[in-house]
Amino acid sequence: MMQTETFRREMPPPLQPRPLNLPESSQTKLANGLTLVLIEDKRLPLINFRLAFRSGDANDPAELPGLSDMMSHLLTEGTTTRTSRQIAEEIERLGATLSVGSSSDFTTIAASGLSVYASEILELIADVTLRATFPQNEVDLARENTQQMLIQQRAQPTFLASERMAQVMFGAHPYSRISPTSEMLEALTRDDLLSFRDAAFLPNNAVMMVVGDFEHDSIIAGIEQLFSEWKPAESSKPEFAAPPELQNRIAYVIDRPGSAQSNIVIANHGITRTSPDYFPLLLMHTILGANASSRLFMNLREEKGYTYGAYSNLDARRLTGTFRATAEVRTAVTGASLHEFFYELKRIRDEAVSVDEITNAKSYLTGVFPIRIETQDGLIDQLVSIKMFDLPDDFLKTYRDQVNAVTTEDIQRVAQTYVQPDRAALVIVGDAAEITDQVKPYAETIEYYDTEGKRKAEGGR
Amino acid sequence: MQKTFQVPHTPIKQFSLDNGLRIVLNEDHSVPVVSVAVYYDVGSRNEREGRTGFAHLFEHMMFQGSENVPKAAHFQYISNAGGTMNGTTSSERTNYFETLPAGQLPLALWLESDRMRSLAVTQENLDNQREAVKEEKRLRYDNQPYVNGFLRLFEMSFKNPANSHSTIGSMEDLDAATVEDIQEFFRIYYAPNNAVLAVAGDIDQTETLSLIEKYFATIPSQPEPPPVDVAEPPGVAVSQDAYLDKLAPVPAFALGWKIPERRSPDFYSLSLASHLLFEGESARLYQKLVKGEESVVQIQGGIDERRGPSGLFIVVIPKPDREGAQIRDTIFEEIRQLATVGPSEEEMEKLRNNLFIASVRSRQSSLYRAQQLAEFTLYDNEPELFNTDLQTYLDVTAAQIRDSVAQYLDTDDRVLLDIVPAPQEVPPASPQEPGDPDQPTSPLPQIPAPPDEASAGSPLPNTSQAAIESN
Repeated sequence: MMQTETFRREMPPPLQPRPLNLPESSQTKLANGLTLVLIEDKRLPLINFRLAFRSGDANDPAELPGLSDMMSHLLTEGTTTRTSRQIAEEIERLGATLSVGSSSDFTTIAASGLSVYASEILELIADVTLRATFPQNEVDLARENTQQMLIQQRAQPTFLASERMAQVMFGAHPYSRISPTSEMLEALTRDDLLSFRDAAFLPNNAVMMVVGDFEHDSIIAGIEQLFSEWKPAESSKPEFAAPPELQNRIAYVIDRPGSAQSNIVIANHGITRTSPDYFPLLLMHTILGANASSRLFMNLREEKGYTYGAYSNLDARRLTGTFRATAEVRTAVTGASLHEFFYELKRIRDEAVSVDEITNAKSYLTGVFPIRIETQDGLIDQLVSIKMFDLPDDFLKTYRDQVNAVTTEDIQRVAQTYVQPDRAALVIVGDAAEITDQVKPYAETIEYYDTEGKRKAEGGR
Repeated sequence: MQKTFQVPHTPIKQFSLDNGLRIVLNEDHSVPVVSVAVYYDVGSRNEREGRTGFAHLFEHMMFQGSENVPKAAHFQYISNAGGTMNGTTSSERTNYFETLPAGQLPLALWLESDRMRSLAVTQENLDNQREAVKEEKRLRYDNQPYVNGFLRLFEMSFKNPANSHSTIGSMEDLDAATVEDIQEFFRIYYAPNNAVLAVAGDIDQTETLSLIEKYFATIPSQPEPPPVDVAEPPGVAVSQDAYLDKLAPVPAFALGWKIPERRSPDFYSLSLASHLLFEGESARLYQKLVKGEESVVQIQGGIDERRGPSGLFIVVIPKPDREGAQIRDTIFEEIRQLATVGPSEEEMEKLRNNLFIASVRSRQSSLYRAQQLAEFTLYDNEPELFNTDLQTYLDVTAAQIRDSVAQYLDTDDRVLLDIVPAPQEVPPASPQEPGDPDQPTSPLPQIPAPPDEASAGSPLPNTSQAAIESN
């Protein structure tokens, strides 16, 4: 090896930092109650739209889990003026995209394209928003294909883990349902879709966001004209059951004979997206498991080689949330991995994080912030979160200050509040016969499930 | 409805150092971030028999420290500076990249140059990363339905082992890799004259060039690596086969065709044809099979783009009780239609607008620009292709698409693989599939994530792990 030049010995200092000019947004409300949030960005001839509704999977009736998903999927499958095929052909002929997605707390119609086609794209958004008809043949086709998807997703270990985790953590709360069921699909009618759409799609329950190359006044006039027939109405505020309290540590083993790995999820209850503990927990999560330099990854992958990646997950939604630690590990080290997980969970509670760790985590979060808003998609998705979770309008402007304000004491306080290893749900998808003895030392009791999600007496074959 | 349209020009500068390192810069002040991409001209096509998966295993070793950077500190330096990073391996190349606040450019150049000149290889690090790679293989291949089955398609398509073997490799070959192999591989392939460095974003060109000089100029060049032979005899290796998949809940089948190399006239036509056949819900096969006949639950296709013989493939999950043979007849009929009548005027308009939008959209991200510039420089020594390749696509005519489809797709010289659910049996304690066929370039039948998983979760991008990727 050649002799090292001196300048290589130390990490180099940064150059002069360059300022981040956050784009200015403007907000207005139409007569029918539809809120508009606009950011003009003329760097490239592109435009992005999001029409988001404060209604999502959590609003599904208990007997029709997945209704919001099915409604979203079928929104682009026919209107009073266009067939399913015409919608697909028109949007794709423009080189544009149009898709509808439903999450637990909100539903989003997303579209984007070349800004020269802004008015054509906007007209298609209005058409599917206001005039979707849910044609019977399309409902039947979606029903059949989704039945097949339900079979497919049971072959995915991550789905099996998410399904059990949601049921354990949320109980009778609607966040416990993460997928349609076969019974729901059989019962689903066109009228269910229409009435769910009518209840959710109210202008006063929605926010339209536009980012891109457009003229402020003309885009407002265009939206106003296309959505003028849309009438506001009282939106219902459903009451939800509280999630169950966890009293002790129970393991939920989903037996997947022959599984090449064990998918481990360790979950505690967390926070809502607007909780004052959000930023302290975000810092704690960054130090514990957000990325490849966090403690979990460094320990379980870089030191032990048990996994391709070990992470934590801060899942904060409108009504409640969870804090989780996860990894997929080879079967033989399932118990050894649990040992390391619980070691790290205890350590983040018992010991204050070091000055270096908190400094580095702040530097990470404030540094990646501009990368996340580099593209129009990245920026508009931030706007969707702000509006749908009712975050303050200056959220982007104050984000870095909020991160920098968190102290070591804040982190330990939230760790001791939310990281509760003795009352965690331990969900493991794996080969029960191989892992039962490895799991036993880490749980007071073990419940077994099959890959259909049904409880079974014991593991093994 | 076609409107006239001008795609903005991206300014590009190309340089090289005396040691052979090729450099491409794109100065763009719109967001205060910088992306650095280093592309090495080595991929799974350079691997010899008995060492499959080696290029990718080596990629992991590049994060394990060098003379002045301790083991695993690479992740730490980048994260702590507010950046993201990764590395990927394909058949064609291995790449490393990071995006950082613009002022942190020296850090990226320091890290990339230190591992290019002085990678530290120890037995302990190799053993550890071998385990990480094996877990990656289990996670992404062995524990997933359809994946290993689908990847058999590449073994069936190609006769030359350089083309047919997988990037992830086999467990046996991963076990066989030694520290000496790693050191030799580093010497041969990780030399400045076998690499391209691209920097895009909020930079000052002069300042950037002098920093690059400082960090990279004293790294010695090496003799040219041995030439790669990817030549293929005509015809597919195996035209029909079945794969028993114990994780697959329902049957599926895959079709594959061999097509000419990237940037050949037929490659341009066929990639446009593939768009018309299976991209989006207005695509011909989606409208025929998912709609229309309602015989198929899911259909996906893709192109495996290479510098040598490349691939085009289609994966189908039929509805229960539907015959694969009848579905395939519809697919072949649609291909025949495209091969005789050619695309419609509406379809040509769709292609033009999709080419425009793809070209404009991709310019937003400094990382994407850096990666594309590095790739065009590595493969073609012509970074301006970033600006000019669009016109080559736009110049393709309907007749050329028709004729390329007739020559390369409307033929019996293709591959058919049935993926058959295997009955559950008592599995071995630690499942290993000797000689797993796999190719990591696979848009596979993917089940949409549960809705809550898609929206919930951390507000941050999960800095992803060292990975293999599709192109």
